[in-house]
Amino acid sequence: MEREEVVTALEKALTEVLDQPVHDLKGDTRLFEDLHLDSTTALETLMALEDTIGLEVDPEELDADDFETVDKFTDFVLKAKA
Amino acid sequence: MLHELLDRAAAERPDAPAITSGGRRVTYRELAELSLRMADALSGRGVRRGERVLLRSADGLAVAAACYAVSRTGAAFSVLHEEVRGEPLRHVVGDCEPVLLVGDDDSDPEAVRFEHIAALSESSHAAPTDPCPALEVDPACLIYTSGTTSLPKAVVSTHQQMLWAIGAIQQCLNYQPDDVIYCPLPLSFDYGLYQVFLATNARAHLWLGTPAESGPPLLKNLAEAKATVLPGVPPVSDRLAWLLQRGGDLPHLRLLTNTGAALSEKTTEKLRRHLPNLRIALMYGLTECKRTAIMPPDGDLDKPGACGLPLPGTEVFVIDDEGNRVPPGEIGQFVVRGPHVMAGYWRRPELTAERFYRKDGLFPELRTGDYGRMDEDGYLYFSGRRDDIYKERGFRVSATEVEAAANRVQEVEKAAVLPPTEDRKAVLAAVTGISAEEVLEKMREHIEPFKIPRRCVRLESLPTNNNGKIDRRELATIIEGSE
Repeated sequence: MEREEVVTALEKALTEVLDQPVHDLKGDTRLFEDLHLDSTTALETLMALEDTIGLEVDPEELDADDFETVDKFTDFVLKAKA
Repeated sequence: MLHELLDRAAAERPDAPAITSGGRRVTYRELAELSLRMADALSGRGVRRGERVLLRSADGLAVAAACYAVSRTGAAFSVLHEEVRGEPLRHVVGDCEPVLLVGDDDSDPEAVRFEHIAALSESSHAAPTDPCPALEVDPACLIYTSGTTSLPKAVVSTHQQMLWAIGAIQQCLNYQPDDVIYCPLPLSFDYGLYQVFLATNARAHLWLGTPAESGPPLLKNLAEAKATVLPGVPPVSDRLAWLLQRGGDLPHLRLLTNTGAALSEKTTEKLRRHLPNLRIALMYGLTECKRTAIMPPDGDLDKPGACGLPLPGTEVFVIDDEGNRVPPGEIGQFVVRGPHVMAGYWRRPELTAERFYRKDGLFPELRTGDYGRMDEDGYLYFSGRRDDIYKERGFRVSATEVEAAANRVQEVEKAAVLPPTEDRKAVLAAVTGISAEEVLEKMREHIEPFKIPRRCVRLESLPTNNNGKIDRRELATIIEGSE
């Protein structure tokens, strides 16, 4: 999977979860502070990505750091999909 | 006094871990010393018996120590969510006239005298302060809560009332000294705050999780903490159930409690399937008496739909609209009596008289505004609220308050909130010239972000009924029809 595909899927997932259009995400956009994700919506985002790109998460490997910025989260998804 | 809980724990188990938060850990001796240093610093800044101190910080460990520190000075504390700023903060400041706001940053310079929480901990004096000047019937804590009025009001608790409630809850939940209590709830939420006191009371180890840590990494963090108790609200338990279905185990977790709203049976079933050692205790309560009822662990299996038995030493009964007690099985308003019924609302004598009704002019009984029934065995079944309270992201939110904030946005002509239903989340409907996203963004200046509905729909006008009031049923039809 390409990086851009992940970001596009993330934008789509966030649009759904946050009930507002999310596009043109930058790599350094912070998920909690800038996009106002919280503990509930962060997990809903994972759920959405599970449906759309078949992301499989290992609950014992999920780190708070992976949800810090769009870049870090993209890295995490690419690693999980590898 | 509230801080004597901590002094006893420090005397009995000085080297036991008290709180872990954000990679830091303090023992009971260290926590007691920290709170003594903070109390010394607070006294130096003019905090005295009878005053109020606001605590607003993302540093849960420091907030916990500061609660005990304020108690030592004889003043009362109020823990605010770290996002309370601007207008909501000014409301609280105007309402309780605090002598000091203790926090991480002073971005509200006009509001009130400010002190960095880190500076308080740096005070060098750890010598015990003079004997606490307060009485146990003095206020110890103010908890701001949304009501039917548009602005939050403070429930005031005395030391005596808090200590009694802590003891009664402990009788039901039986926290042990070797327990690790993982608290994913902010300390501004009263059940989060009480985890501090319940843990200290049991000399247990409290582990505070940040919002980021309590989201997707929840399971991992529970495992790392070797958590034995998880005080939860439904979104937390739902998340945990989802994560457990994807792998992982929590062999140490023995007890999950639930408050805030009903926990779905789907979630309890999944949790039990994945965690055979886990026991679940459902609870029901409101800040005005801290906790009303607790189910025996796993009692929901025998009594599906029940939300608890009244705390030991307290009474709950059901009344009709005329105030008469109704027999088991009949739905009416829950009324609570007992030493855990708090003092009342800060400087709201009329509202206090109404909700903390004094029977025969003397004996306070809490008219909860919650409706439900009691069965023959004394179990309570909750059916709903009389007014407009609903839950947003696990927090108690008033539709009136959210509407008021939306209406304060200059470009919004008119706004209305539809509380969530089973099928959709809360929605804001607005008549406005700006975009829906801009409305939600601008509301952040007027209300805590976690109270803002996730979705806003722009309409040409809001439907009204014959009385000129917003017709919510029609509004729901329009909005649900547009999906």
